[in-house]
Amino acid sequence: MNLTDMRTFADDEIVDAVVVGTGAGGAPLLAALAARGLRVVALEAGDNTDPHDHTPDEIAAADDINWMDERLSGGETPTAFGPNNSGRGVGGSTLHWGAFAPRPSAHDLRLRSESGLGEDWPIDHDELVAYIERVERFAGVSGPSHYPWDPDRRYLFPPVARNASSDMMMRGCEALGIRATDAPAALVTRDHDHDHGGHRSACANCGTCHQGCRNGSKVSMDTTYLPQAVAHGAEIRAGSMVHGIERDASGAVTAVVYRRDGVDHRQRCTNLFLCAGGIETPRLLLHTGVGNSSGQVGRNFMAHGGVQVWGRFEQEMRGYRGYPSSIITEDFVRPADADFAGGYLIQSLGVMPLTLATTLVRGAGLWGRELVDAMDDYRFMAGVGINGECLPSDGNLLELSDEVDDDGIPKARISFSAGGNEDAIDRHAIRTLTSIVEAAGATSTMVLPRTAHTLGTARMGTDRERAVIDPDGRSFDVPNLWICDNSVFPSSLVANPALTTMALSLRTADRFLASHKP
Amino acid sequence: MSSSPSSRTTAFALHALGSSARAFDGVAEAVADVLDVHAIDLPGFGDAAGMTGTSIPESVRHVERAIRRSGATRWILIGHSMGGKIASVVAARALAGESELFGLAGVVLLAASPPSPEPMEEERRRDMLSWAADGRLDADAARTFVDANVGARLHPDADALALDDVQRTSAAAWTAWLEDGSREDLTDAVGTLDLPALILAGGEDGDLGEDAQRRLNGSVYPRASVEALGGTGHLLPLERPLDVAHAVRDFWESTAGIGPAVPADVAAVIASPRTSARTRGLLARRAVADDPHATPAALTDVQLATLRVLADRIVPQDGAGIDIALRVDAQLAAGGGDGWRNADLPPDREAYATALDALAPLRTHSPREIDAVITRLAAGEYDEHDALSAAQFAAWFEDARVDLVRQWLAHPATMARIGFDGFANGGDDVFTGFAILGADEREDWEMLPVIAR
Ligand SMILES: Cc1cc2nc3c(=O)[nH]c(=O)nc-3n(C[C@H](O)[C@H](O)[C@H](O)COP(=O)(O)OP(=O)(O)OC[C@H]3O[C@@H](n4cnc5c(N)ncnc54)[C@H](O)[C@@H]3O)c2cc1C
Ligand code: SF4
Repeated sequence: MNLTDMRTFADDEIVDAVVVGTGAGGAPLLAALAARGLRVVALEAGDNTDPHDHTPDEIAAADDINWMDERLSGGETPTAFGPNNSGRGVGGSTLHWGAFAPRPSAHDLRLRSESGLGEDWPIDHDELVAYIERVERFAGVSGPSHYPWDPDRRYLFPPVARNASSDMMMRGCEALGIRATDAPAALVTRDHDHDHGGHRSACANCGTCHQGCRNGSKVSMDTTYLPQAVAHGAEIRAGSMVHGIERDASGAVTAVVYRRDGVDHRQRCTNLFLCAGGIETPRLLLHTGVGNSSGQVGRNFMAHGGVQVWGRFEQEMRGYRGYPSSIITEDFVRPADADFAGGYLIQSLGVMPLTLATTLVRGAGLWGRELVDAMDDYRFMAGVGINGECLPSDGNLLELSDEVDDDGIPKARISFSAGGNEDAIDRHAIRTLTSIVEAAGATSTMVLPRTAHTLGTARMGTDRERAVIDPDGRSFDVPNLWICDNSVFPSSLVANPALTTMALSLRTADRFLASHKP
Repeated sequence: MSSSPSSRTTAFALHALGSSARAFDGVAEAVADVLDVHAIDLPGFGDAAGMTGTSIPESVRHVERAIRRSGATRWILIGHSMGGKIASVVAARALAGESELFGLAGVVLLAASPPSPEPMEEERRRDMLSWAADGRLDADAARTFVDANVGARLHPDADALALDDVQRTSAAAWTAWLEDGSREDLTDAVGTLDLPALILAGGEDGDLGEDAQRRLNGSVYPRASVEALGGTGHLLPLERPLDVAHAVRDFWESTAGIGPAVPADVAAVIASPRTSARTRGLLARRAVADDPHATPAALTDVQLATLRVLADRIVPQDGAGIDIALRVDAQLAAGGGDGWRNADLPPDREAYATALDALAPLRTHSPREIDAVITRLAAGEYDEHDALSAAQFAAWFEDARVDLVRQWLAHPATMARIGFDGFANGGDDVFTGFAILGADEREDWEMLPVIAR
């Protein structure tokens, strides 16, 4: 994005707020604070990119916009990082996210009350939805004119074009009596101009959302909230990796230490917002020893179930054309025959070849002729996949390993083992997905297990013994430290996380501003 | 291989100062069985003597236009002397995707001028400039020039041609090269060109002899082999057409031409404005053949050999192959992982080294025996070594399979094979995307996959 004429601050100037990370959790609040006239600086570890420079090439794109510093993944079912779930750059993971933008259901926020398992959110559903609507209106989300599971809902932009995978899923669902429709997609389907001057072109169905949208269509923080923030006087410092937090005798944050081009700098501030994502936020807190009197930092790591079922069809599907996930069904948010807490959403899937091959190896264990044959069938394949509830669990956690990275910070070690509830959801989902794909005419099917998203490692709650931040988003331990990103999720939600994270970001800004004495 | 014109490889040949396309006639005839030589008159020379734009950038555009117009989708460049400098610029731009060209497979330099300023004695430069001072190059100048640049007398036909070509040269082009082109420093613009390259030097050549070639062009082309032709001056294609042809043929058959070819229709789409320059460049660099004599950068020779044996079983390739094991070695050396590793494994390079050392005996095993080991590796049942546990072997082997299959798929020939054309989903000027998304439908520009259904 264009940062040439932005306002800048000196390191020794005491700014009102430093925001660490410019992804879904950091960007909206940066814009909101700047709009209120606060002096704010965002420190972003990744580079600043121009949308035009993205490439559909999967290898180059991963190096550009994914978090490729090594993390250690353990447990019974280690989750894949890198291109699978973490972004890096001005815009964070929204540079490469899939823009599938369902809203969480009221059930999602009351998981414990309704099922006795997991956690409730200390936030009212109506309040959250009001913030979500603000995000949808500002950033631009497209969707159907009639949303079967929430008839009052309206989307600003007409739905994104369907591709062969979409037609397949619609066909399969219809045959089975499952309701399915155009998915809420965080992209503009008509040209759209923002008040702060940014132009967004209508989605061109190029299919490479995960490699970065070159068209400005997809909601990415660098084409939506960040230009707004800069227009209101925020500074964004790219290539700035925060690794230290300085505090005064009372324990309040006074500055952050960050490394840029190999040199350490110290930015003084009166408030700190950590928005570095579900892995880097807890890693930084553990590394600096800040905010962890509860011992909950790094705990309750959650990764959504993401199992996929792919079918081989007689027709050429070539699902890399078009927006990758344009159909949704919410019929399984709370399935009647569930033997588990929570549920799952289903989406149609388009996939790029290297991503598919990676899943074929990791998920299905293929090699040799079978692997090559599967890829020779690539153009005949179409699939459906889920986003499924994951319960918080004691054994699933992030710790600092003994190994350090190039900056001398210990690498994160994440342990994740799917539990009985996750396994039960997977079994149910595999049955459903397989029947959809078969009903749509697949001649053979393949199950590809996978998990996605990094949630819950600095969770929000009402009990300071069991949570890291309070319901406003403020650290229980450090009064001028706020956290807003995927790490604050008390439960995983059945809905994919980013829209909720953006909404939380606006809410955190409001809560902060309400308590802020200039 | 089919012999339709577009699937033949073309060698675009760029001549020296005072020369012309005709200088390559002898070479062309002698390599005609493997390569079509398409020699180009540069602006101000030969039949193009009347052209005025004779600067290096203008000459580069002229060459690029000729390549584009020819429709060639798999080609090499041959650059003699001045033409060598232009060839290096054309190659750099093609590998960067900047020129709406695709399919460059290698570069042959003949006593070539380097991208850096050409070493030339000032007195000689002044003399040569004076010949053209009155607006034309006469017979005396031609005689002096040719004699100064050969190791031994040329064959009479070649001699006549060389003399004629000097006199056909426009004085403006002659002067432009001596005053500007030869002095221009294009080192940064060209960078290093990591592709198959052959550098031939004249054993009796002066400023651009073997030593200069190694120093000035060898550093630009890290993969180049440098050979000197004894008893030869500067006019290699005229002095030794058969030896040059022999070297070019050998270069094509043993080095530049050994990788899988990207089908002509796919190459044309990559070259087209539907593909962004950056993406085109990535694909162009991946399309060049792997160096069969490369020294591994992260692994040892034996480790690489073991990985190659495994790679053949994990991703069996039909016909001309991609050295995916070597590409994984390069990836390991660059430190480029995938953002994570299994917590039970040591760092990537170490895991590869340990596992491959343990599996080294596989190099002498039959494919069946190797497959049996692979089955146990993948299932987490391979517990024959202290170096790694069965679970660690399984975790490493999963990573290795992912790395290998990704390198295979990243090659444009594989993309063509599986019918993937998503790289052409939008160029730099017009962001096209896809207009047709349904099953069994395709847009007019989309090529048919190589593997029929
Ligand atoms: C392939 C993929 C597809 C996805 N698809 C969807 C989807 O369709 N729908 C959906 O809802 N969600 C999707 N997601 C998830 C979504 O992108 C994330 O949930 C969301 O972006 C998380 O926001 P965040 O603020 O927590 O972190 P991020 O957006 O990741 O932002 C964190 C930022 O902090 C920076 N940072 C980290 N550490 C430091 C440090 N120490 N100093 C300075 N900066 C730092 C990072 O570089 C990064 O830019 C997808 C994710 C992936 C990987
Ligand atoms: S499919 Fe649409 S939103 Fe996605 S990258 Fe392409 S143009 Fe952008």
